Amino acid sequence: MSSTTTTREYFQNVWDSLATTFAGMRITGKYLMQKPITVQYPDERLPIPDRYRGIHYLEQEKCINCLACARACPIDCIEMDAIRHGKELEWVLFTLDYQKCMFCELCVYPCPKDCIHMGTEFAFVSFDRSEFNHDLLSYKGMSREARIRKREADIKKAEKEAAKAAAAAEKAAQEAADPETPEEPAS
Amino acid sequence: MSLLTLEAAAGGNAISELLGGIAPEGTPTWAIWLGAAGAAVGLLVAFVSLVAMFSVWLERKVSAHIQCRYGPMYVGGWHGWAQTLADGVKLLLKEDMIPLGADKPLFVLAPALVLGAIFGALVALPLAPGFFFADVNMGLFLILAFSSLTTIGVVMAGWASNSKWSLYGAMREAAQVVAYEVPLGVSLFVPLMVAGTFSLTEASAAQSGWFGMHWFIFQNPFMLPAFIIFFIAALAETKRAPFDLPEAESELVAGFMTEYSGIRWSFFFMEEYAAMFLMSAVGAVFFFGGYHSPLTAMFPDEATSGLLYQLVCAGTLIFKSFVGVFVMMWLRWTLPRLRIDQVMSMGYKYLTPLALACVLGAAIWETIFA
Repeated sequence: MSSTTTTREYFQNVWDSLATTFAGMRITGKYLMQKPITVQYPDERLPIPDRYRGIHYLEQEKCINCLACARACPIDCIEMDAIRHGKELEWVLFTLDYQKCMFCELCVYPCPKDCIHMGTEFAFVSFDRSEFNHDLLSYKGMSREARIRKREADIKKAEKEAAKAAAAAEKAAQEAADPETPEEPAS
Repeated sequence: MSLLTLEAAAGGNAISELLGGIAPEGTPTWAIWLGAAGAAVGLLVAFVSLVAMFSVWLERKVSAHIQCRYGPMYVGGWHGWAQTLADGVKLLLKEDMIPLGADKPLFVLAPALVLGAIFGALVALPLAPGFFFADVNMGLFLILAFSSLTTIGVVMAGWASNSKWSLYGAMREAAQVVAYEVPLGVSLFVPLMVAGTFSLTEASAAQSGWFGMHWFIFQNPFMLPAFIIFFIAALAETKRAPFDLPEAESELVAGFMTEYSGIRWSFFFMEEYAAMFLMSAVGAVFFFGGYHSPLTAMFPDEATSGLLYQLVCAGTLIFKSFVGVFVMMWLRWTLPRLRIDQVMSMGYKYLTPLALACVLGAAIWETIFA
């Protein structure tokens, strides 16, 4: 700061302070008018990249209990067990301990059936540590997207079955209503 | 006219007339007076609380949107309008803490004094013709005196808290208000000269008609610089950024209110927003036509005593005041805080001489053209 201010500098200061204030207010006013860039998080979410490494989800019906993922895991956080009935598998457990898991994705690559995936779910809050030992066999362990896909598939399947049943019922009704149709002689 | 006469609430306002009308025959005058005073205090408290509530919500929204955020969105449904209400309930329920080393009577008295001063200042504010708590013919003096009284409360709070942060905040407040009272008062001489009155009701009434062309701001070329000086000084007077040195949260924790919590703290907060509203209202009355607007000018002369006209007038003044409050918030979220020496040099070296120059120019203009 100079100890003396000339008259010219004095009025320059007055002008500068007003002009810069108005310039600043124009900028903030522009931001005030624009749409906020944040989203209302729990209600709406920003898109998550496809290759995001979140909580796993398991396609249980494809899994053959080969333990490849459990062996690949560098910190041994996957445990699985199943009883074999011929070609059918009866699942006992498939747990993944998220207190240990470091989301390295090494369990995904060795899977011969391509049935374990990294999901996009990342918010994982619990009141109890034991809940972090996660049961992947339930829907709970699936990612949001996988759960949605699963639900959609279920709905589609149910619709298909309903349509089939409806068609069968219609056919039966037609057969019952049409007496000209020669009935199969019971032999 | 030249004497500061504070008319008692029973003197001639709507509340006491109403109470006198409905009170049974033979009710003593003092009972009506007390009832009117009680009703007026209740109305004032409700008004200040509502203004503070809305302003805090507005501040959150303005700050959020300037930073490209949403701000409160959930409480109450529509854009979190009840957020301040929820906060108020929380503050009411908080433990009332007084530090061990504090000067207890002063510590307790300070927030009450600060808020009471604002109530006192709002008494002289006419929201509509015939809708005021007291028609004070030196209303502007009253408002300026009461708004300076808040400084005493702030210094009191800073001293009584027995904390270095509080004391620094209080000292800054004192220095700042001493520096800015002068340009605030002097810049208001310009509209006073145009209006020829200290009374807010008379000043508002003088600006009616002509669809806003009778506003004082258009009456004199020195009104606009005077208004800018008044606005800056009002910012400093209400401790708003860029002059929020008494609070200075990045340096002094919370300045003079560091040691306060709960409802006592919220008194300071309410005072800040009520003072912003008051200063904006004074600016609206003495520069921008008071409760007159193109909307009120459309009423025919016969209708100017009706209730609808009064409501429109009150709405106009409240709207104008909140425009001022909004600009104050806009400035707060635009400018960084000044240094204390910058604040002082701005007050003493720039605003005061410029305000005096405005007064001189306005006086010459008024002598020649008016």
